Amino acid sequence: MNGTSGTWESRKTELELPEEIDLQVEVANVGSRTLAILIDLGLGGLVIFVVYSLVVLLGHNVVGEWVGWLSSSTLEIVLLLLIFGFQWVYFNLFEWIWNGQTPGKRLVHLRVIKIDGSPVSGIDVLLRNLVRPIDTLGPMGLIGLLMIFVNKKGQRLGDLMARTLVIHEIAIDWSIFDQIENPPEAMSGAVVPGIRLNPEQWELLHRYLNRRKELPDEVRARLADSLHQSLRPAARGTDLERSPLLPEDWLLELAKRT
Amino acid sequence: MTLGAFVRKNRPQWQRLETMLGVIEARGPRGTNRPFLRELTALYRGTTGDLAYAQTHYRGTTLLLFLHQLVARAHNQIYRPHRLTARAMGNFVRNEIPQAVREHVPAVTWSAIIFLMGIALGLSAVQFDERVASVILPNSVLNSIYSGQMWTGGIFSVVPAPVASTFLFTSNISVALLAFAGGLSCGLLTALILFQNGFMLGVVLRLCANYGLLGSVLEFIAGHGVLEISAIIIAGGGGFVLANTLLHPGSFSRRDALAKEGRKAVRMALACVPALITAGCIEAFISPSHLPVWLKVVLGLTLGGVYWLYLLFTGRPAAIAKAT
Repeated sequence: MNGTSGTWESRKTELELPEEIDLQVEVANVGSRTLAILIDLGLGGLVIFVVYSLVVLLGHNVVGEWVGWLSSSTLEIVLLLLIFGFQWVYFNLFEWIWNGQTPGKRLVHLRVIKIDGSPVSGIDVLLRNLVRPIDTLGPMGLIGLLMIFVNKKGQRLGDLMARTLVIHEIAIDWSIFDQIENPPEAMSGAVVPGIRLNPEQWELLHRYLNRRKELPDEVRARLADSLHQSLRPAARGTDLERSPLLPEDWLLELAKRT
Repeated sequence: MTLGAFVRKNRPQWQRLETMLGVIEARGPRGTNRPFLRELTALYRGTTGDLAYAQTHYRGTTLLLFLHQLVARAHNQIYRPHRLTARAMGNFVRNEIPQAVREHVPAVTWSAIIFLMGIALGLSAVQFDERVASVILPNSVLNSIYSGQMWTGGIFSVVPAPVASTFLFTSNISVALLAFAGGLSCGLLTALILFQNGFMLGVVLRLCANYGLLGSVLEFIAGHGVLEISAIIIAGGGGFVLANTLLHPGSFSRRDALAKEGRKAVRMALACVPALITAGCIEAFISPSHLPVWLKVVLGLTLGGVYWLYLLFTGRPAAIAKAT
Protein backbone atom coordinates (compact mmCIF):
# COMPACT_ATOMS: atom_id res chain seq x y z
CA MET A 1 0.00 0.00 0.00
CA ASN A 2 2.81 2.29 0.85
CA GLY A 3 4.84 3.66 -1.99
CA THR A 4 7.65 5.15 0.01
CA SER A 5 9.02 1.96 1.47
CA GLY A 6 10.72 0.10 -1.29
CA THR A 7 11.34 -3.11 0.56
CA TRP A 8 10.58 -6.43 -0.98
CA GLU A 9 8.02 -7.49 1.56
CA SER A 10 5.88 -4.38 1.43
CA ARG A 11 5.79 -3.91 -2.33
CA LYS A 12 5.61 -7.38 -3.73
CA THR A 13 2.64 -8.67 -5.59
CA GLU A 14 1.73 -12.21 -6.47
CA LEU A 15 1.17 -13.45 -9.97
CA GLU A 16 -0.26 -16.87 -10.50
CA LEU A 17 1.55 -19.01 -13.04
CA PRO A 18 0.23 -22.01 -14.94
CA GLU A 19 2.78 -24.05 -12.98
CA GLU A 20 0.66 -23.46 -9.88
CA ILE A 21 3.14 -21.38 -8.04
CA ASP A 22 2.73 -17.80 -7.02
CA LEU A 23 5.40 -15.68 -8.54
CA GLN A 24 6.32 -12.70 -6.43
CA VAL A 25 7.53 -9.65 -8.22
CA GLU A 26 8.58 -6.37 -6.76
CA VAL A 27 6.34 -3.54 -7.84
CA ALA A 28 8.37 -0.53 -8.92
CA ASN A 29 7.95 2.40 -6.54
CA VAL A 30 7.09 5.96 -7.45
CA GLY A 31 10.66 7.12 -7.06
CA SER A 32 12.21 4.75 -9.56
CA ARG A 33 9.38 5.22 -12.02
CA THR A 34 9.79 8.97 -11.84
CA LEU A 35 13.53 8.58 -12.27
CA ALA A 36 13.01 6.41 -15.35
CA ILE A 37 10.66 9.00 -16.85
CA LEU A 38 13.11 11.79 -16.12
CA ILE A 39 15.88 9.86 -17.85
CA ASP A 40 13.64 9.32 -20.88
CA LEU A 41 12.63 12.98 -20.92
CA GLY A 42 16.27 14.03 -20.63
CA LEU A 43 17.28 11.76 -23.47
CA GLY A 44 14.51 12.95 -25.77
CA GLY A 45 15.08 16.55 -24.75
CA LEU A 46 18.77 16.28 -25.54
CA VAL A 47 18.22 14.90 -29.04
CA ILE A 48 15.55 17.50 -29.78
CA PHE A 49 17.78 20.25 -28.42
CA VAL A 50 20.67 19.24 -30.65
CA VAL A 51 18.50 19.21 -33.77
CA TYR A 52 16.84 22.46 -32.73
CA SER A 53 20.23 24.11 -32.32
CA LEU A 54 21.21 22.90 -35.78
CA VAL A 55 18.03 24.39 -37.24
CA VAL A 56 18.69 27.72 -35.54
CA LEU A 57 22.37 27.78 -36.48
CA LEU A 58 21.56 26.85 -40.05
CA GLY A 59 18.94 29.59 -40.16
CA HIS A 60 21.57 32.14 -39.11
CA ASN A 61 24.16 30.68 -41.43
CA VAL A 62 26.54 30.18 -38.51
CA VAL A 63 27.67 26.64 -39.09
CA GLY A 64 28.66 27.27 -42.65
CA GLU A 65 29.50 24.75 -45.28
CA TRP A 66 29.93 21.50 -43.45
CA VAL A 67 26.23 20.87 -43.05
CA GLY A 68 25.48 22.29 -46.45
CA TRP A 69 24.08 18.99 -47.65
CA LEU A 70 21.29 19.30 -45.10
CA SER A 71 18.76 21.82 -46.24
CA SER A 72 17.11 23.68 -43.44
CA SER A 73 13.65 22.42 -44.39
CA THR A 74 14.84 18.83 -44.08
CA LEU A 75 16.08 19.62 -40.61
CA GLU A 76 12.83 21.36 -39.73
CA ILE A 77 10.87 18.31 -40.80
CA VAL A 78 13.20 16.12 -38.77
CA LEU A 79 12.69 18.39 -35.78
CA LEU A 80 8.89 18.33 -36.09
CA LEU A 81 8.90 14.55 -36.45
CA LEU A 82 11.25 14.20 -33.49
CA ILE A 83 9.03 16.28 -31.23
CA PHE A 84 5.97 14.37 -32.35
CA GLY A 85 7.81 11.07 -32.16
CA PHE A 86 9.01 11.75 -28.66
CA GLN A 87 5.51 12.64 -27.51
CA TRP A 88 3.64 9.74 -29.05
CA VAL A 89 6.01 7.15 -30.48
CA TYR A 90 9.07 6.89 -28.23
CA PHE A 91 7.48 5.09 -25.26
CA ASN A 92 5.31 2.91 -27.49
CA LEU A 93 8.12 1.86 -29.76
CA PHE A 94 10.65 1.05 -27.06
CA GLU A 95 8.23 -0.74 -24.75
CA TRP A 96 7.12 -2.78 -27.72
CA ILE A 97 10.46 -3.81 -29.20
CA TRP A 98 12.36 -3.98 -25.90
CA ASN A 99 9.72 -6.08 -24.17
CA GLY A 100 8.39 -3.50 -21.75
CA GLN A 101 11.45 -1.32 -21.34
CA THR A 102 12.44 2.16 -22.45
CA PRO A 103 16.04 3.37 -22.13
CA GLY A 104 15.11 5.02 -18.82
CA LYS A 105 13.38 1.91 -17.52
CA ARG A 106 16.32 -0.22 -18.60
CA LEU A 107 18.77 1.93 -16.65
CA VAL A 108 16.61 1.81 -13.53
CA HIS A 109 15.90 -1.92 -14.02
CA LEU A 110 12.16 -1.53 -14.50
CA ARG A 111 9.98 -3.52 -16.86
CA VAL A 112 6.34 -3.41 -17.86
CA ILE A 113 4.63 -6.80 -17.73
CA LYS A 114 1.03 -7.98 -17.92
CA ILE A 115 -0.63 -8.64 -14.58
CA ASP A 116 -0.49 -12.37 -15.29
CA GLY A 117 3.27 -12.14 -15.66
CA SER A 118 3.37 -12.52 -19.42
CA PRO A 119 5.12 -10.02 -21.71
CA VAL A 120 3.25 -6.99 -23.02
CA SER A 121 1.86 -6.94 -26.54
CA GLY A 122 1.72 -4.01 -28.92
CA ILE A 123 -1.84 -2.98 -28.09
CA ASP A 124 -1.14 -3.06 -24.32
CA VAL A 125 1.78 -0.75 -24.83
CA LEU A 126 -0.32 1.62 -26.93
CA LEU A 127 -3.09 1.66 -24.35
CA ARG A 128 -0.85 2.54 -21.45
CA ASN A 129 1.19 5.11 -23.35
CA LEU A 130 -1.41 7.00 -25.37
CA VAL A 131 -3.08 8.14 -22.16
CA ARG A 132 0.25 9.21 -20.69
CA PRO A 133 -0.42 12.94 -21.25
CA ILE A 134 -3.42 12.63 -18.95
CA ASP A 135 -2.15 10.49 -16.13
CA THR A 136 1.61 11.04 -16.08
CA LEU A 137 2.83 14.21 -17.71
CA GLY A 138 1.80 17.81 -17.30
CA PRO A 139 -0.34 19.24 -14.54
CA MET A 140 -2.58 16.19 -14.50
CA GLY A 141 0.39 13.98 -13.69
CA LEU A 142 -0.76 14.23 -10.10
CA ILE A 143 -3.53 11.78 -10.93
CA GLY A 144 -1.02 9.19 -12.08
CA LEU A 145 1.22 9.81 -9.10
CA LEU A 146 -1.71 9.41 -6.74
CA MET A 147 -2.83 6.23 -8.47
CA ILE A 148 0.63 4.70 -8.15
CA PHE A 149 0.56 5.48 -4.43
CA VAL A 150 -2.94 4.22 -3.81
CA ASN A 151 -3.06 1.18 -6.06
CA LYS A 152 -1.63 -1.95 -4.49
CA LYS A 153 0.07 -2.91 -7.73
CA GLY A 154 1.26 0.62 -8.47
CA GLN A 155 -0.95 0.89 -11.54
CA ARG A 156 -1.84 4.25 -12.99
CA LEU A 157 -4.97 4.61 -15.12
CA GLY A 158 -3.13 3.58 -18.27
CA ASP A 159 -1.86 0.47 -16.52
CA LEU A 160 -5.37 -0.42 -15.41
CA MET A 161 -6.62 -0.10 -18.96
CA ALA A 162 -3.82 -2.19 -20.40
CA ARG A 163 -3.77 -4.63 -17.42
CA THR A 164 -0.08 -4.04 -16.96
CA LEU A 165 2.19 -3.28 -14.06
CA VAL A 166 5.71 -1.99 -13.75
CA ILE A 167 8.07 -4.21 -11.87
CA HIS A 168 11.53 -3.74 -10.49
CA GLU A 169 13.95 -6.41 -11.64
CA ILE A 170 16.50 -7.43 -9.09
CA ALA A 171 19.91 -8.15 -10.51
CA ILE A 172 20.79 -11.75 -9.81
CA ASP A 173 24.24 -11.95 -8.27
CA TRP A 174 25.19 -15.53 -7.57
CA SER A 175 28.54 -14.49 -6.18
CA ILE A 176 26.99 -13.95 -2.78
CA PHE A 177 26.93 -17.73 -2.56
CA ASP A 178 30.56 -18.09 -3.54
CA GLN A 179 31.63 -18.91 -0.03
CA ILE A 180 29.76 -22.17 -0.30
CA GLU A 181 31.71 -23.33 -3.29
CA ASN A 182 35.01 -22.89 -1.55
CA PRO A 183 34.25 -23.86 2.03
CA PRO A 184 37.13 -23.04 4.35
CA GLU A 185 39.10 -26.16 5.11
CA ALA A 186 37.72 -28.05 8.02
CA MET A 187 39.72 -27.91 11.18
CA SER A 188 42.18 -30.72 11.33
CA GLY A 189 41.21 -33.71 13.37
CA ALA A 190 38.62 -32.60 15.84
CA VAL A 191 35.04 -33.61 15.13
CA VAL A 192 33.01 -30.45 14.85
CA PRO A 193 29.43 -30.62 16.10
CA GLY A 194 27.01 -29.12 13.57
CA ILE A 195 25.33 -25.88 14.46
CA ARG A 196 21.95 -25.14 12.95
CA LEU A 197 21.32 -21.68 11.59
CA ASN A 198 18.03 -20.70 10.03
CA PRO A 199 18.21 -19.70 6.35
CA GLU A 200 18.18 -15.96 7.03
CA GLN A 201 20.99 -16.22 9.54
CA TRP A 202 22.92 -18.44 7.19
CA GLU A 203 22.59 -16.00 4.32
CA LEU A 204 23.47 -13.08 6.53
CA LEU A 205 26.63 -14.81 7.67
CA HIS A 206 27.70 -15.73 4.16
CA ARG A 207 26.98 -12.33 2.79
CA TYR A 208 29.18 -10.78 5.40
CA LEU A 209 32.00 -13.24 4.81
CA ASN A 210 31.75 -12.67 1.10
CA ARG A 211 31.83 -8.93 1.29
CA ARG A 212 34.13 -8.32 4.22
CA LYS A 213 37.24 -7.78 2.13
CA GLU A 214 35.62 -4.85 0.31
CA LEU A 215 34.61 -3.08 3.51
CA PRO A 216 36.60 -0.38 5.27
CA ASP A 217 38.31 -1.83 8.34
CA GLU A 218 36.20 0.09 10.80
CA VAL A 219 32.90 -0.99 9.25
CA ARG A 220 34.19 -4.52 8.87
CA ALA A 221 34.98 -4.75 12.57
CA ARG A 222 31.71 -3.14 13.62
CA LEU A 223 29.62 -5.48 11.47
CA ALA A 224 31.56 -8.50 12.69
CA ASP A 225 30.88 -7.43 16.22
CA SER A 226 27.15 -7.01 15.75
CA LEU A 227 26.87 -10.27 13.79
CA HIS A 228 28.77 -11.99 16.55
CA GLN A 229 26.27 -10.66 19.05
CA SER A 230 23.23 -11.72 17.10
CA LEU A 231 24.46 -15.16 16.00
CA ARG A 232 25.87 -16.22 19.34
CA PRO A 233 22.60 -17.69 20.61
CA ALA A 234 22.72 -20.14 17.70
CA ALA A 235 25.94 -21.59 19.07
CA ARG A 236 24.50 -22.21 22.51
CA GLY A 237 25.67 -25.41 24.12
CA THR A 238 28.80 -25.76 22.02
CA ASP A 239 32.34 -24.79 22.82
CA LEU A 240 31.98 -21.93 20.35
CA GLU A 241 29.58 -20.06 22.60
CA ARG A 242 32.31 -18.97 24.94
CA SER A 243 35.15 -19.13 22.48
CA PRO A 244 37.70 -16.33 22.98
CA LEU A 245 38.12 -15.81 19.21
CA LEU A 246 37.88 -12.31 17.73
CA PRO A 247 34.43 -11.64 16.22
CA GLU A 248 35.51 -12.12 12.63
CA ASP A 249 37.43 -15.32 13.28
CA TRP A 250 34.53 -16.49 15.34
CA LEU A 251 32.20 -15.98 12.35
CA LEU A 252 34.57 -17.88 10.07
CA GLU A 253 34.62 -20.69 12.56
CA LEU A 254 30.82 -20.66 12.67
CA ALA A 255 30.62 -20.88 8.89
CA LYS A 256 32.79 -23.99 8.99
CA ARG A 257 30.48 -25.72 11.40
CA THR A 258 27.17 -25.13 9.63
CA MET B 1 18.22 -29.68 3.22
CA THR B 2 20.22 -26.75 4.47
CA LEU B 3 20.30 -23.67 2.33
CA GLY B 4 23.96 -24.26 1.57
CA ALA B 5 23.36 -27.80 0.33
CA PHE B 6 20.37 -26.62 -1.71
CA VAL B 7 22.40 -23.93 -3.46
CA ARG B 8 25.38 -26.24 -3.97
CA LYS B 9 23.17 -28.86 -5.58
CA ASN B 10 21.14 -26.62 -7.91
CA ARG B 11 23.24 -23.60 -8.66
CA PRO B 12 24.70 -25.03 -11.91
CA GLN B 13 21.18 -25.52 -13.34
CA TRP B 14 20.09 -22.03 -12.33
CA GLN B 15 23.12 -20.45 -13.86
CA ARG B 16 22.69 -22.53 -17.01
CA LEU B 17 19.08 -21.30 -17.22
CA GLU B 18 20.25 -17.75 -16.73
CA THR B 19 22.79 -18.06 -19.55
CA MET B 20 20.22 -19.61 -21.87
CA LEU B 21 17.78 -16.81 -21.07
CA GLY B 22 20.42 -14.30 -22.04
CA VAL B 23 20.75 -16.04 -25.39
CA ILE B 24 17.04 -16.26 -26.15
CA GLU B 25 16.38 -12.71 -24.96
CA ALA B 26 18.98 -11.45 -27.40
CA ARG B 27 18.16 -13.66 -30.38
CA GLY B 28 14.49 -14.54 -29.99
CA PRO B 29 13.20 -18.11 -30.25
CA ARG B 30 13.93 -18.24 -33.98
CA GLY B 31 17.60 -17.74 -33.30
CA THR B 32 17.73 -20.98 -31.32
CA ASN B 33 17.14 -24.63 -32.16
CA ARG B 34 14.94 -27.42 -30.91
CA PRO B 35 17.33 -29.03 -28.39
CA PHE B 36 17.99 -25.57 -26.97
CA LEU B 37 14.27 -24.93 -26.42
CA ARG B 38 13.78 -28.43 -24.96
CA GLU B 39 16.54 -27.83 -22.47
CA LEU B 40 15.18 -24.37 -21.68
CA THR B 41 11.71 -25.63 -20.86
CA ALA B 42 13.12 -28.51 -18.83
CA LEU B 43 15.30 -26.13 -16.83
CA TYR B 44 12.32 -23.81 -16.41
CA ARG B 45 10.19 -26.58 -14.92
CA GLY B 46 13.04 -27.66 -12.70
CA THR B 47 13.54 -24.15 -11.44
CA THR B 48 9.83 -23.63 -10.75
CA GLY B 49 10.08 -26.74 -8.59
CA ASP B 50 13.08 -25.30 -6.78
CA LEU B 51 11.17 -22.08 -6.32
CA ALA B 52 8.25 -23.93 -4.77
CA TYR B 53 10.64 -25.74 -2.43
CA ALA B 54 12.43 -22.53 -1.51
CA GLN B 55 9.12 -20.82 -0.88
CA THR B 56 8.33 -23.39 1.77
CA HIS B 57 11.73 -23.74 3.38
CA TYR B 58 13.71 -20.58 2.83
CA ARG B 59 11.26 -17.72 3.27
CA GLY B 60 12.75 -14.25 3.49
CA THR B 61 16.06 -15.15 1.87
CA THR B 62 17.83 -13.49 -1.03
CA LEU B 63 17.95 -16.85 -2.75
CA LEU B 64 14.15 -16.90 -2.90
CA LEU B 65 14.22 -13.46 -4.49
CA PHE B 66 16.70 -14.63 -7.10
CA LEU B 67 14.61 -17.67 -7.94
CA HIS B 68 11.48 -15.52 -8.33
CA GLN B 69 13.42 -13.29 -10.65
CA LEU B 70 14.79 -16.17 -12.66
CA VAL B 71 11.42 -17.89 -13.04
CA ALA B 72 9.81 -14.58 -14.02
CA ARG B 73 12.34 -14.08 -16.79
CA ALA B 74 11.95 -17.63 -18.05
CA HIS B 75 8.15 -17.36 -17.87
CA ASN B 76 8.42 -14.22 -19.94
CA GLN B 77 10.24 -16.09 -22.68
CA ILE B 78 8.11 -19.22 -22.62
CA TYR B 79 4.71 -17.53 -22.58
CA ARG B 80 5.28 -14.97 -25.31
CA PRO B 81 2.40 -13.11 -26.95
CA HIS B 82 1.70 -13.89 -30.57
CA ARG B 83 4.17 -12.34 -32.88
CA LEU B 84 2.87 -9.40 -34.85
CA THR B 85 2.45 -10.72 -38.36
CA ALA B 86 1.44 -8.93 -41.53
CA ARG B 87 -1.77 -10.96 -41.34
CA ALA B 88 -2.57 -9.77 -37.82
CA MET B 89 -1.80 -6.23 -38.88
CA GLY B 90 -4.10 -6.55 -41.89
CA ASN B 91 -6.87 -7.93 -39.73
CA PHE B 92 -6.39 -5.04 -37.32
CA VAL B 93 -6.85 -2.46 -40.06
CA ARG B 94 -9.48 -4.28 -42.13
CA ASN B 95 -11.70 -5.61 -39.38
CA GLU B 96 -10.87 -4.51 -35.88
CA ILE B 97 -10.81 -0.75 -36.37
CA PRO B 98 -14.17 -0.53 -38.24
CA GLN B 99 -15.71 -2.97 -35.75
CA ALA B 100 -14.65 -0.80 -32.84
CA VAL B 101 -16.15 2.30 -34.46
CA ARG B 102 -19.41 0.54 -35.35
CA GLU B 103 -19.79 -0.74 -31.81
CA HIS B 104 -19.59 2.80 -30.51
CA VAL B 105 -21.69 4.85 -32.89
CA PRO B 106 -23.39 6.71 -30.00
CA ALA B 107 -20.05 7.92 -28.66
CA VAL B 108 -19.04 9.09 -32.12
CA THR B 109 -22.39 10.84 -32.48
CA TRP B 110 -21.89 12.69 -29.20
CA SER B 111 -18.44 13.66 -30.35
CA ALA B 112 -19.89 15.06 -33.60
CA ILE B 113 -22.68 16.87 -31.74
CA ILE B 114 -20.23 18.65 -29.46
CA PHE B 115 -18.07 19.62 -32.42
CA LEU B 116 -21.12 20.99 -34.27
CA MET B 117 -22.20 22.86 -31.15
CA GLY B 118 -18.78 24.46 -31.16
CA ILE B 119 -19.25 25.58 -34.76
CA ALA B 120 -22.73 26.92 -34.08
CA LEU B 121 -21.61 28.84 -31.05
CA GLY B 122 -18.60 30.20 -32.91
CA LEU B 123 -20.81 31.43 -35.73
CA SER B 124 -23.31 33.11 -33.47
CA ALA B 125 -20.67 34.53 -31.13
CA VAL B 126 -18.99 36.46 -33.93
CA GLN B 127 -22.35 37.61 -35.22
CA PHE B 128 -23.12 38.92 -31.76
CA ASP B 129 -19.74 40.53 -31.17
CA GLU B 130 -16.85 40.42 -33.60
CA ARG B 131 -14.27 40.98 -30.86
CA VAL B 132 -14.77 37.37 -29.73
CA ALA B 133 -12.48 36.41 -32.59
CA SER B 134 -9.51 38.13 -30.98
CA VAL B 135 -9.79 35.78 -28.02
CA ILE B 136 -9.28 32.60 -30.00
CA LEU B 137 -7.45 33.55 -33.21
CA PRO B 138 -3.83 34.71 -33.41
CA ASN B 139 -3.22 38.34 -34.36
CA SER B 140 -1.57 37.61 -37.69
CA VAL B 141 -4.63 35.72 -38.88
CA LEU B 142 -6.97 38.45 -37.60
CA ASN B 143 -5.05 41.24 -39.32
CA SER B 144 -5.01 39.54 -42.68
CA ILE B 145 -8.75 38.83 -42.49
CA TYR B 146 -9.44 42.46 -41.52
CA SER B 147 -7.49 43.59 -44.57
CA GLY B 148 -9.58 41.29 -46.73
CA GLN B 149 -6.89 38.71 -47.46
CA MET B 150 -6.55 34.99 -46.72
CA TRP B 151 -3.94 34.36 -44.03
CA THR B 152 -3.01 31.11 -45.74
CA GLY B 153 -1.35 32.90 -48.65
CA GLY B 154 1.17 34.48 -46.30
CA ILE B 155 1.95 31.31 -44.41
CA PHE B 156 2.25 28.90 -47.30
CA SER B 157 4.44 31.21 -49.36
CA VAL B 158 6.97 31.40 -46.54
CA VAL B 159 6.90 27.84 -45.22
CA PRO B 160 7.75 25.09 -47.72
CA ALA B 161 4.84 22.69 -48.24
CA PRO B 162 6.68 19.58 -46.92
CA VAL B 163 7.46 21.37 -43.66
CA ALA B 164 3.93 22.72 -43.41
CA SER B 165 2.37 19.31 -44.02
CA THR B 166 4.57 17.74 -41.34
CA PHE B 167 3.65 20.48 -38.92
CA LEU B 168 -0.05 20.14 -39.72
CA PHE B 169 -0.35 16.41 -39.39
CA THR B 170 1.82 16.13 -36.28
CA SER B 171 -0.13 18.80 -34.47
CA ASN B 172 -3.48 17.43 -35.64
CA ILE B 173 -2.62 13.91 -34.55
CA SER B 174 -1.51 15.31 -31.19
CA VAL B 175 -4.86 17.05 -30.80
CA ALA B 176 -6.77 13.92 -31.78
CA LEU B 177 -4.82 11.64 -29.47
CA LEU B 178 -5.22 14.13 -26.64
CA ALA B 179 -8.96 14.10 -27.29
CA PHE B 180 -8.80 10.33 -26.90
CA ALA B 181 -6.66 10.39 -23.76
CA GLY B 182 -8.90 13.13 -22.36
CA GLY B 183 -11.57 10.47 -21.94
CA LEU B 184 -9.85 9.59 -18.69
CA SER B 185 -10.73 13.02 -17.32
CA CYS B 186 -14.32 11.73 -17.49
CA GLY B 187 -14.57 13.25 -20.96
CA LEU B 188 -14.09 16.86 -19.86
CA LEU B 189 -10.89 17.39 -21.81
CA THR B 190 -12.28 15.52 -24.82
CA ALA B 191 -15.36 17.73 -24.89
CA LEU B 192 -13.21 20.82 -24.44
CA ILE B 193 -10.92 19.94 -27.34
CA LEU B 194 -13.81 19.07 -29.66
CA PHE B 195 -15.72 22.18 -28.69
CA GLN B 196 -12.71 24.46 -29.04
CA ASN B 197 -11.87 23.15 -32.51
CA GLY B 198 -15.47 23.52 -33.64
CA PHE B 199 -15.69 26.98 -32.10
CA MET B 200 -12.54 28.10 -33.89
CA LEU B 201 -13.92 26.89 -37.22
CA GLY B 202 -17.22 28.68 -36.59
CA VAL B 203 -15.47 31.91 -35.69
CA VAL B 204 -13.24 31.79 -38.78
CA LEU B 205 -16.17 31.08 -41.08
CA ARG B 206 -18.32 33.88 -39.73
CA LEU B 207 -15.47 36.37 -39.61
CA CYS B 208 -14.42 35.59 -43.19
CA ALA B 209 -18.03 35.98 -44.27
CA ASN B 210 -18.07 39.45 -42.68
CA TYR B 211 -15.03 40.47 -44.71
CA GLY B 212 -16.03 38.90 -48.02
CA LEU B 213 -13.68 35.94 -47.74
CA LEU B 214 -16.27 33.16 -47.33
CA GLY B 215 -15.59 31.81 -50.82
CA SER B 216 -11.83 31.67 -50.37
CA VAL B 217 -11.98 30.06 -46.94
CA LEU B 218 -14.43 27.40 -48.13
CA GLU B 219 -12.22 26.69 -51.11
CA PHE B 220 -9.26 26.33 -48.79
CA ILE B 221 -11.08 23.95 -46.42
CA ALA B 222 -12.80 21.91 -49.14
CA GLY B 223 -9.90 19.59 -49.88
CA HIS B 224 -8.95 18.46 -46.41
CA GLY B 225 -11.69 19.67 -44.07
CA VAL B 226 -14.08 16.73 -44.18
CA LEU B 227 -11.38 14.13 -43.59
CA GLU B 228 -9.68 16.13 -40.86
CA ILE B 229 -12.86 16.86 -38.95
CA SER B 230 -14.04 13.25 -39.30
CA ALA B 231 -10.79 11.90 -37.89
CA ILE B 232 -10.90 14.19 -34.88
CA ILE B 233 -14.52 13.28 -34.25
CA ILE B 234 -13.67 9.57 -34.34
CA ALA B 235 -10.77 10.03 -31.91
CA GLY B 236 -13.02 12.12 -29.68
CA GLY B 237 -15.53 9.29 -29.86
CA GLY B 238 -12.80 7.00 -28.51
CA GLY B 239 -12.32 9.45 -25.66
CA PHE B 240 -16.03 9.37 -24.87
CA VAL B 241 -15.98 5.58 -24.82
CA LEU B 242 -13.36 5.80 -22.06
CA ALA B 243 -15.32 8.46 -20.23
CA ASN B 244 -18.56 6.52 -20.45
CA THR B 245 -16.84 3.39 -19.17
CA LEU B 246 -15.40 5.29 -16.22
CA LEU B 247 -18.78 6.76 -15.36
CA HIS B 248 -21.02 3.79 -16.20
CA PRO B 249 -19.01 0.58 -15.97
CA GLY B 250 -22.24 -1.47 -16.11
CA SER B 251 -22.09 -4.96 -14.69
CA PHE B 252 -18.30 -5.06 -14.66
CA SER B 253 -16.06 -3.57 -12.05
CA ARG B 254 -14.75 -0.20 -13.16
CA ARG B 255 -11.31 -1.67 -13.61
CA ASP B 256 -12.42 -4.59 -15.79
CA ALA B 257 -14.76 -2.41 -17.84
CA LEU B 258 -11.93 0.01 -18.53
CA ALA B 259 -9.62 -2.79 -19.62
CA LYS B 260 -12.32 -4.24 -21.89
CA GLU B 261 -13.53 -1.04 -23.55
CA GLY B 262 -10.11 0.60 -23.60
CA ARG B 263 -9.00 -1.95 -26.16
CA LYS B 264 -11.76 -0.77 -28.53
CA ALA B 265 -11.32 2.90 -27.76
CA VAL B 266 -7.64 2.83 -28.62
CA ARG B 267 -8.50 1.34 -32.01
CA MET B 268 -10.76 4.32 -32.64
CA ALA B 269 -7.94 6.67 -31.69
CA LEU B 270 -5.55 4.92 -34.07
CA ALA B 271 -8.06 5.25 -36.92
CA CYS B 272 -7.31 8.96 -36.98
CA VAL B 273 -3.60 8.62 -37.74
CA PRO B 274 -3.62 7.75 -41.47
CA ALA B 275 -6.54 10.11 -42.11
CA LEU B 276 -4.77 13.03 -40.47
CA ILE B 277 -1.52 12.39 -42.31
CA THR B 278 -3.45 12.45 -45.59
CA ALA B 279 -5.37 15.56 -44.57
CA GLY B 280 -2.16 17.32 -43.53
CA CYS B 281 -0.54 16.65 -46.89
CA ILE B 282 -3.60 17.89 -48.80
CA GLU B 283 -3.81 20.98 -46.62
CA ALA B 284 -0.21 21.90 -47.37
CA PHE B 285 0.16 20.80 -50.98
CA ILE B 286 -3.27 21.07 -52.59
CA SER B 287 -5.48 23.42 -50.55
CA PRO B 288 -3.32 26.57 -51.04
CA SER B 289 -2.59 25.69 -54.69
CA HIS B 290 -4.33 27.17 -57.72
CA LEU B 291 -6.00 23.95 -58.74
CA PRO B 292 -9.65 24.36 -59.81
CA VAL B 293 -12.16 24.58 -57.01
CA TRP B 294 -14.28 21.69 -58.23
CA LEU B 295 -11.25 19.40 -58.01
CA LYS B 296 -10.66 20.31 -54.39
CA VAL B 297 -14.32 19.82 -53.54
CA VAL B 298 -14.48 16.43 -55.29
CA LEU B 299 -11.25 15.31 -53.61
CA GLY B 300 -12.43 16.40 -50.18
CA LEU B 301 -15.84 14.78 -50.47
CA THR B 302 -14.43 11.57 -51.94
CA LEU B 303 -11.83 11.14 -49.21
CA GLY B 304 -14.34 11.96 -46.49
CA GLY B 305 -16.87 9.58 -48.01
CA VAL B 306 -14.39 6.75 -48.39
CA TYR B 307 -13.27 7.22 -44.79
CA TRP B 308 -16.80 6.92 -43.43
CA LEU B 309 -17.62 4.01 -45.75
CA TYR B 310 -14.51 2.23 -44.48
CA LEU B 311 -15.40 2.82 -40.84
CA LEU B 312 -19.11 2.09 -41.03
CA PHE B 313 -19.51 -0.57 -43.69
CA THR B 314 -16.33 -2.57 -44.25
CA GLY B 315 -14.78 -5.38 -42.26
CA ARG B 316 -16.55 -8.43 -41.00
CA PRO B 317 -18.96 -8.06 -38.10
CA ALA B 318 -17.27 -8.87 -34.81
CA ALA B 319 -19.23 -12.11 -34.29
CA ILE B 320 -18.10 -13.60 -37.60
CA ALA B 321 -14.51 -12.50 -37.11
CA LYS B 322 -14.46 -14.17 -33.72
CA ALA B 323 -15.94 -17.40 -35.02
CA THR B 324 -13.30 -17.94 -37.69
